[in-house]
Amino acid sequence: MAVQNLTVEALRDKLNRGESLFILDVRNESDYDDWKIEGPTVHSINIPYFEFLDDEDVADERLPDETDIVTVCAKGGSSQYVAEILDGKGYNVYSLEGGMKAWSQVYNDTLVFEDDNMKLFQVNRMAKGCLSYLIVTGDEAAVVDPGRHTAFYIRLAEREGARIRHVMDTHLHADHISGGPGLAEETGATYYIASEEVQGAGYTFAPLEKEEHIHFGQVDIKVLALPTPGHTPGSTSFVVNDRFLLSGDTLFVSGLGRPDLGGKAREWAELLYDTVFHKLSDLQDQTLVLPAHYADMEEMDENGIVGASLGEIRENNRAMQTKGKEVFTELIAGAASTDTPPNFEKITAINRGKQTPDEEEATELEIGPNRCAVHHHG
Amino acid sequence: MKTDVVVDAKGLACPMPLVRAKKEMDRLNSGEVMKLISTDPGSVNDFASWAKRANHEILDQQEEDGVYTFYVKKG
Repeated sequence: MAVQNLTVEALRDKLNRGESLFILDVRNESDYDDWKIEGPTVHSINIPYFEFLDDEDVADERLPDETDIVTVCAKGGSSQYVAEILDGKGYNVYSLEGGMKAWSQVYNDTLVFEDDNMKLFQVNRMAKGCLSYLIVTGDEAAVVDPGRHTAFYIRLAEREGARIRHVMDTHLHADHISGGPGLAEETGATYYIASEEVQGAGYTFAPLEKEEHIHFGQVDIKVLALPTPGHTPGSTSFVVNDRFLLSGDTLFVSGLGRPDLGGKAREWAELLYDTVFHKLSDLQDQTLVLPAHYADMEEMDENGIVGASLGEIRENNRAMQTKGKEVFTELIAGAASTDTPPNFEKITAINRGKQTPDEEEATELEIGPNRCAVHHHG
Repeated sequence: MKTDVVVDAKGLACPMPLVRAKKEMDRLNSGEVMKLISTDPGSVNDFASWAKRANHEILDQQEEDGVYTFYVKKG
């Protein structure tokens, strides 16, 4: 019997429906440890495909007889190879078409909030742990931190009967290619980013530091630019209708942004301290914090939304309870010396509009996990 | 370097470079050397992991213009 392929979209939909999945990831161990498909209903094991070269029975003791198995590799070739071996042995097996490369390009939208005046969607690029947002009011929409697959946002806005008028980046992203300038160009929207982030940008933008509010729609939805340096010096957050803080990479559900990517960990950690204890201190505990990334499935709630109230984050975050600037700087700068995101120098050059990669190169550059949060200091 | 067999896997994607290498390796005697040429960057790490696991020794490894060459002694 021929092995059946499973598309990455079908995999996403299965995860959304809460179906149990048994994943056999056949990439090598270090790639698997770095980056894999995760979810509350995913059971995943790793046996590299080359182990099947020497012994086709190598996985038998670890595979379920009755449940469907999905094989996964980097691009879909090796998973197909292993799936054929397993199919020959009588397992129910599917191969993930296009592998992790295709999975890295899948997006999913979830409604976070809706009232008579607006809708707020969180768009999750699951493989990268990247989050972006679409705010709809009447027939107009704004997008914050879009990924480079701009068609997804255009379709989502169309589905909601809205046109994208504003596109904002909270900061210069180092882990993925921004869809901001491209999406603005395709839709005729205004693209906003802080000037400090994109010195000598190769595209047109509206400097965020000059905007105190961005109004749009039939209703007055306030999007307040709130400078929150720390992650990068021009990081900006947005407070939507006094209820939602789109925090970029400054504040996460489980921790703070890492300040070391510009090579100035200590100075930026001090700026982050001022952000956390002065600029954010006016916001109420019930403000819902919606970040640009998550690092762990535990940061997602039962509705599939990554977010937490500012009060919860304040309560659970060790660094945020530290009152002393010295201790805070030490905690943050000390934790920041971990791996950098893959290709971050090249990606930041692209996000400044200095380079234009083709589709193939863009895909290759973005392969791999996100590493923008400071871990283990929540 | 003296080689006993050359496996040219240029243009092939995973898992074929390793499938070919494994097939040829099975025909060699212990101590003989295989030269593997691949243009698939993904298979480079995999090849090293596989060789280690199977107790083969990578004698040399080069990369030039996207062409990877390995010399491996059968264990």
